[in-house]
Amino acid sequence: MEVFLQTLVAGILKGGLYGLIGLGMSLIMGVMGIINLAHGQLMMVAMYITFVLSHYLGIDPYLSLFVSMPALFLLGVVIQKYTLNPLMEVDSILPENQVLMTVGIGMVLTEIARFIFTSDYKSVRTSYSDATFFLGEISFSIALVIAFFIAIGFTLFMFWFLLKTDIGRSIRATAQDKDAALLMGVNSKRITVITFGLGSALVAAAGTVLMPVYYLFPDIGGPFTRKAFVITILGGLGSTVGAIFGGLTLGLAEAFGATYIGMAYDDMIGLLIFILVLLFLPGGFKRLTKI
Amino acid sequence: MKKSKVLIGLILAVALIFSFGVSQSIAADTIKVGIVLPLTGKLAKFGEIENKSFLMALKEINAAGGVNGKKIELIIEDTTGKPDVGRSAIEKLISLDKVVMLGGGYSSSVTWATIAVAQQNKVPFLVNTGSADKITEQGWEYIFRLNPPVSEYPGAFASFLETIATDVKTVAILHENSLFGQSGSKKFVKRCEALGLEVLMKEGYEAGAIDFKPLLIKVKAKKADLVYMISYIMDASLLMRQSKELNLNPKLFVGGAAGFTLPEFKKNAAKASNFVYSATLWTPSVPYPGAQAYYDKFVEIYNEPTEYHGAEAYSAMYVIADALKRAKSLTRKDVRNALASTNLITAFGPVKFISYDKKTNQNKLPTFLVQWIDGNLETVWPKNVATKGYIYPIPKWSKR
Repeated sequence: MEVFLQTLVAGILKGGLYGLIGLGMSLIMGVMGIINLAHGQLMMVAMYITFVLSHYLGIDPYLSLFVSMPALFLLGVVIQKYTLNPLMEVDSILPENQVLMTVGIGMVLTEIARFIFTSDYKSVRTSYSDATFFLGEISFSIALVIAFFIAIGFTLFMFWFLLKTDIGRSIRATAQDKDAALLMGVNSKRITVITFGLGSALVAAAGTVLMPVYYLFPDIGGPFTRKAFVITILGGLGSTVGAIFGGLTLGLAEAFGATYIGMAYDDMIGLLIFILVLLFLPGGFKRLTKI
Repeated sequence: MKKSKVLIGLILAVALIFSFGVSQSIAADTIKVGIVLPLTGKLAKFGEIENKSFLMALKEINAAGGVNGKKIELIIEDTTGKPDVGRSAIEKLISLDKVVMLGGGYSSSVTWATIAVAQQNKVPFLVNTGSADKITEQGWEYIFRLNPPVSEYPGAFASFLETIATDVKTVAILHENSLFGQSGSKKFVKRCEALGLEVLMKEGYEAGAIDFKPLLIKVKAKKADLVYMISYIMDASLLMRQSKELNLNPKLFVGGAAGFTLPEFKKNAAKASNFVYSATLWTPSVPYPGAQAYYDKFVEIYNEPTEYHGAEAYSAMYVIADALKRAKSLTRKDVRNALASTNLITAFGPVKFISYDKKTNQNKLPTFLVQWIDGNLETVWPKNVATKGYIYPIPKWSKR
């Protein structure tokens, strides 16, 4: 029983974080219809910002959210405005040019990080990095619990933002039908720019709260891009609630798989679910939640 | 369309001319040796230490007059830690750069993919780190290995178990899931059986995981006396940190070299690294001439500590130079024959390629047991090279 509960806790905590990672990608994918393959790399940039602030200025990782998120928002805006949007206007051989561009951007970000910080592993050590509390026999990592609640908080905020604010409504309108949105007077170009910024800021939050428990090196982005992609497909494009469910599903599947099947099959389990969802629930959890 | 094709053709042509031009202009009075290392990717930290050590030794050798008046030129290729990239890097070194021999080889998976190419083309390859047993078990006469195979890593640890930690009865083995971990864990199970220990569980994991708790909670439930881990660096740190979080208290935490001996392990695992044991192939305190000198010089030049991977690379460079010096001519065949008759004392230990069990051209060396004690990596076993007394059993997390 203890093993089961501990696995459940581990899966849920990790799942919350996964949800936050997937949320940004889901948003971008929903609005622009492209996969942002630099997603994990953007997260890596945010992690380096957190690292620098903590290592050189002694700023607590959670406080550095206030720096990493705006910084990544700006970076996202610049990327969309000056590299992705111009591509939309060019008649090109491949319609997927923007996706290829994100791959390139990811590589450039990785190599810049390597150039500045070398391939060294970095980590942020805080007093609560290894701190735990116990409920009965079950151990909770304090940093992961905080990360979980921050993730849930951002998801709720995004949910409210998309439903209730003007910009949120415009984003949803653009996602549903770009041409119709345009005819209704939505500046869809501006919306794509804002969306990419938001998506980047969200993954920045994920990177920053992950920093106290994980580690960092320039190539860390790739695996997270992959995870985000799986979560996005699980949750359904553009769906905030879907992203958090997708994240939780992946987190739980990985945790239970690790305990009862074997941790070596971590990635396999995630991808198996990915295939099952594509086969039996195309469109992801969004089809069930309708939001 | 047509324009772009012409353009690509032009670029390729220029690139081709360039690469030939460069390699031929240098070729005149240097001896070219190809080195394959992971300089980027998740194993880059190991590659970096080895790269620096290779260059350090190369500088010393060339400053001392090189090989019979000729200077050695290293062509270092990045494998990015991936077998397929490693393979094409080796192919490039052999056919385009026309190197007389090859060195390097970090990570078993990559090395395994590359040695076949070297053997086919009859290019001698001195592997200095890739440690899966089967690398030297193919009977391939062009493949040599400086470091002991992974099955022999826990040699010193086994004698420690027999003489000191005699109350250890049960074992849990955790290993990363590539060739290095798989090969090492299988052999460790055999060793445990020989020692009369019961293996309660043996599980692999995918390197780079965020959360090892599902794995560690199983170890905790089984109450193993000894937790033996074969891990690369950051997994090693996370494993220890999360063991601390879960309050997992075996009598011994032991790492099977690789990640557990790097200075980064202590930096990242912080307090959780304390009292962790690890097998290792080399420490600065080993009784070989030049070992301490290598360590000191590395620290002086690069201003950071080094460990056994660096010593392997540093010594491999000397073995390469020695073989080139003794070779009758600079053909690949003669260099191979010279390498086979190597008898050299290096900072990493005496080097002599012998055949035993199923292995050929394998260097045989003793291994050591180290323990992190208050932030320092101390050699604790065998006794004659120990720098500090061992601490056994390791204290419970709550009593530290």
